[in-house]
Amino acid sequence: MKNFKIAQPKTIDQITSLLSEKRDKYYLMAGGTDLLGEIKDEIIEPEAVVDLTSIPNLSYIKKEKDGVRIGALTTVAELAKNLMIKQEYPGLHEAANGIATPQLRNMATVGGNLCQRPRCWYYRDPQVKCRKKGGSRCFAFRGKNKYHAIFGGGLCYIVHPSDLAPVLFALDAEIFISSSKGDKSIPLTDFFILPKVTVSKENILEPDEVLKEVKIPAPKRGEKSTYYKLMERGAWDFALVSVAVKANVSGDVFKDTKIVLGGVAPAPWRLKKAENMIEGKKITENLLRQATKEALKDARPLKENEYKKELIETIVYRAALSLV
Amino acid sequence: MAKKEYSIDIKDSNLLYHEEFREMETEEPEEVPSPEKEKFKIIGDYTPRIDGERIVTGRAPFTHDIKLRGMLCGKILRCPHACAEVVSVHLSRARSLPGVKATLQLKKGRVKYAGEQVAAAAAVDEKTAEEALKLIKVEYKTLPFVVTEEKAMEEGAPQVHDSPNIDKFNDYNRGDIKKGFESADVVLERTYKTAVEIHHTAETHGSVAKWEGKRVTVWDSTQAIFNVRDGLAQTLRIPASRIKVIKKYMGGGFGSKLGLNDYTVAAVLLAKEAKRPVKITLSRKENSLCVGNRPSSIQTIKAGVKKDGTLTALYLKNYTCGGIRRGDRCSEPLIDVYKCSNVKVEEYTVFTNTGAGRPTRAPGHVQGTFALEGFLDELAHKINLDPLELRKKHYTTKNEGGTRIPYSSKGLDKCYLLGAKKIGWGRRNKKPGEGNGKIRRGLGMASQIWWGMGRPRTLADVKLHRDGSVEAVCGTQDLGTGTKTYMATITAETLGLEPKDITVKIGNTEYPWCGSSGGSTTTPSVAPAIRDAALKAANYMKNQTAEKMEISPDDVIIGKEKLSNKNDPAQSISFKELLKEMRRERVFHGEYVGRPLGYAYNTFGAHFAEVEVDIETGKIKVLKVVATHDSGRIINKLTAESQVIGGITQGISTALFEQRVMDEATGNMVNPNLRDYKIATSFDIPEIEVAFVDMVDPRINILGTKGLGEPPRIPIAAAIANAVYNAIGIHVSEIPMTPDKVLQALKRKEVG
Ligand SMILES: Cc1cc2nc3c(=O)[nH]c(=O)nc-3n(C[C@H](O)[C@H](O)[C@H](O)COP(=O)(O)OP(=O)(O)OC[C@H]3O[C@@H](n4cnc5c(N)ncnc54)[C@H](O)[C@@H]3O)c2cc1C
Ligand code: SF4
Repeated sequence: MKNFKIAQPKTIDQITSLLSEKRDKYYLMAGGTDLLGEIKDEIIEPEAVVDLTSIPNLSYIKKEKDGVRIGALTTVAELAKNLMIKQEYPGLHEAANGIATPQLRNMATVGGNLCQRPRCWYYRDPQVKCRKKGGSRCFAFRGKNKYHAIFGGGLCYIVHPSDLAPVLFALDAEIFISSSKGDKSIPLTDFFILPKVTVSKENILEPDEVLKEVKIPAPKRGEKSTYYKLMERGAWDFALVSVAVKANVSGDVFKDTKIVLGGVAPAPWRLKKAENMIEGKKITENLLRQATKEALKDARPLKENEYKKELIETIVYRAALSLV
Repeated sequence: MAKKEYSIDIKDSNLLYHEEFREMETEEPEEVPSPEKEKFKIIGDYTPRIDGERIVTGRAPFTHDIKLRGMLCGKILRCPHACAEVVSVHLSRARSLPGVKATLQLKKGRVKYAGEQVAAAAAVDEKTAEEALKLIKVEYKTLPFVVTEEKAMEEGAPQVHDSPNIDKFNDYNRGDIKKGFESADVVLERTYKTAVEIHHTAETHGSVAKWEGKRVTVWDSTQAIFNVRDGLAQTLRIPASRIKVIKKYMGGGFGSKLGLNDYTVAAVLLAKEAKRPVKITLSRKENSLCVGNRPSSIQTIKAGVKKDGTLTALYLKNYTCGGIRRGDRCSEPLIDVYKCSNVKVEEYTVFTNTGAGRPTRAPGHVQGTFALEGFLDELAHKINLDPLELRKKHYTTKNEGGTRIPYSSKGLDKCYLLGAKKIGWGRRNKKPGEGNGKIRRGLGMASQIWWGMGRPRTLADVKLHRDGSVEAVCGTQDLGTGTKTYMATITAETLGLEPKDITVKIGNTEYPWCGSSGGSTTTPSVAPAIRDAALKAANYMKNQTAEKMEISPDDVIIGKEKLSNKNDPAQSISFKELLKEMRRERVFHGEYVGRPLGYAYNTFGAHFAEVEVDIETGKIKVLKVVATHDSGRIINKLTAESQVIGGITQGISTALFEQRVMDEATGNMVNPNLRDYKIATSFDIPEIEVAFVDMVDPRINILGTKGLGEPPRIPIAAAIANAVYNAIGIHVSEIPMTPDKVLQALKRKEVG
């Protein structure tokens, strides 16, 4: 690991202008649970890290009339223990609660969770220069790809590691971004990008842009959500596959359903076909299986990850039925 | 002293064990004291570890904690290629970096796996040492490599050594296998696979070396201080008398710290050149690559059985891969445990360009038991027999399947009874997979055999001081199993004191000789030696007392902190008083002399597991484990239970998660960290019930105690796999049993 400096500006503006000036040399750090790992593993060698935690007032969960605002520096632990979140957005609560370990949840921030880098083991190997790191080849494509993408691949086959992303996606979250050029807000669905668009990064952020806040609209009447994560071991594991389901549920009929998968694609992955097939219908295991099967026809598994299809079929129906 | 070029004689994983165990079986002591039948007070009780508080409060010094004046940080440059010729190594730029005090070339010629050491540097701090490594210029000529056994076995695969990649190392025959198969009613054949596992000790490997004139002291995180000393003496041609090896506390070894390591040699050489102490601690990644692993196996078992369940033939073919070294001999359980007259074994090593295999807590037996015990369950089902009955039917009191010599003691039958009762064996599915629903339950069991007999000629001292204090001294090392505690317990028991009254000294090659802490040998070596020394001390005290009281020494009894006249208990002298009257301190030398030949000394056990399998996700949840063991007399129930719980925890991890993953394109391990190399978390560990049959072996040593280090590691993965079989009706036959493999197995079942 190389020595690096640490910069602790006092305002967002100072941060964004510093990041804009020192593009690709200065890296933004929130909780550091991912960034410091990347530095230690010598995946990146920043001259300096810019400490976002020196900015006051970026950690909050504020309930307003039209929804809730979550500051980028809110920790995953704070999110997990917030009662209002647990009541109104149970899926988000479940996702936060299942992330990593208590120690990591205490340090990890919501902003960092959405912006974390992939866990592909070739990406994390400093000796490997794969396509994502500017090389000419994806080693996972014909290599060890048990944990890789079955949707949205091409050029690179990472799965997005965030557990918060699929739920926030399903909950129609919006995010606020500050940059040296000003602020903007975009729907989360526009935030993540596929490798086919840009292989070197997982979201639209430019080096001088900072994710400041996540906003989730207030739940509509009858809206329910849940998150189902399947891990190999009991804890401290990324999702093999996961699913966030949100719907307006009356009895066993679902409306405005969102089914968003994690662990299967370089970005949260919506099963639109399945959503359409169940819209307004009486939910049964059979129907859900059929719908998922249909949507899974678009999957492009690699050599070692075909099994994910079966897992998805199971978790989708289980998650959805749990809302009835 | 040879400076730049040396080679370390690291023995092959399982062969090392085998040679040692065979050797242990060849010498018979002149006189063998028979084991005591005595009822003890402290021995056999639950005694908390005397060093427990120091460890859990962070005050116990581990090798990582050692800080010496002027100590440098040593780092090792490792080859990134799976196979390459080292063309040249240029150290000069690194050497001239300010703060760098020594550099070293460690390799010439061919590097055979990614992670092999090539050069080293020592500097005033870690950062400078790391920078120095970056300045070392190595020119490699990369060569074709092969990192998986499947590929290594293919025709035309790159050769790892100058000989074929496949090499037969075990050929065992008894009876007539052909006839055996002919007389069978049913013949079954199955193949089992086990993955390469990394030891992943909590404390990574490391050594500190310090020279004083011609003498060198090495602090090492090791399971074998004397082997490190002798290995250094041999490798560097330094007289053993000038080497001192110290080990205070350590965070686990599991076999990966048996004997000398190459980085220790590097530390010694760097310290010599720098004329300052050098510490080398390996990273988690280095620990994953180059300090050993459990060799994988692909085992095919074929057996013949009569309708009544009699085994007529057992045949094992094993391909085992220990990287650049030999794999594990996995056949022992199959050769030994069950009665069968016709047995044939062929074992082959497959070489690959990966880190060397090394003994890993019950080498070979973990893999062999997984295959054999899994096979027996399928066989039992084929002939409609309760799997436990099948095992009982082939019970034998002689080794090699009833064909050779008697076991000195064997409590496996008791383990079966106890375990079956505690788990509720009757609750299992009578037909594997007969339950229904999405979550299936099942019960399974497996037997265990291991050695655990102790090293003859182990020495230990008990020292009585004039102020009444007592020392128990032995050159053993506590690798985390509680050696120190039972040394205190046994000495205290013998002298009428409490464990806290005994000062225990271990972990220094200047103390009386003791072998490595491996092979479950430590307790059956050290316990009798220290008991012998303590008994001698007790006899001395009895004689002194007898003289004073003018009675026969036989009439002196040792009580709590005093010695008294058996016939007149009022007449007594305190322990302290007696010691004060000695003219000088006294040392009593104890020894474990060995045991009679003509018997087999083994440990036994049986594990019973209950699991739940989600047949839609392939996830296995272990609900309960009952572990029953015959390890002779149990010296300390508390640490013994912990030992079993630890072994089971590791075994569950083996069964469900652990696996080294090699990439064929890069030749690298893709999961050299504790995130991608998955180890069980506390959420994965169920209720574990431990029961000892606690029989005293009649001849193994004066305490009748056997080893326990490895036994609890052996049957657990097999028991879980069998429980899964009982739950879903198909044996997954490959560990780790991750969801993808369980789902695959279920598909095989559908196909039929
Ligand atoms: C062992 C382990 C297990 C884990 N398991 C899980 C899991 O099961 N599920 C899961 O979801 N996650 C898991 N994680 C990931 C963890 O949740 C993330 O590391 C964490 O959320 C990142 O937050 P942070 O504040 O520490 O980010 P940092 O490490 O500080 O930053 C992460 C990245 O995001 C960028 N960044 C951070 N904040 C912002 C911002 N506001 N605007 C723009 N860019 C930003 C940084 O530049 C950096 O590239 C695991 C991590 C580890 C180490
Ligand atoms: S999946 Fe992406 S990150 Fe992984 S090797 Fe391929 S290009 Fe690199």
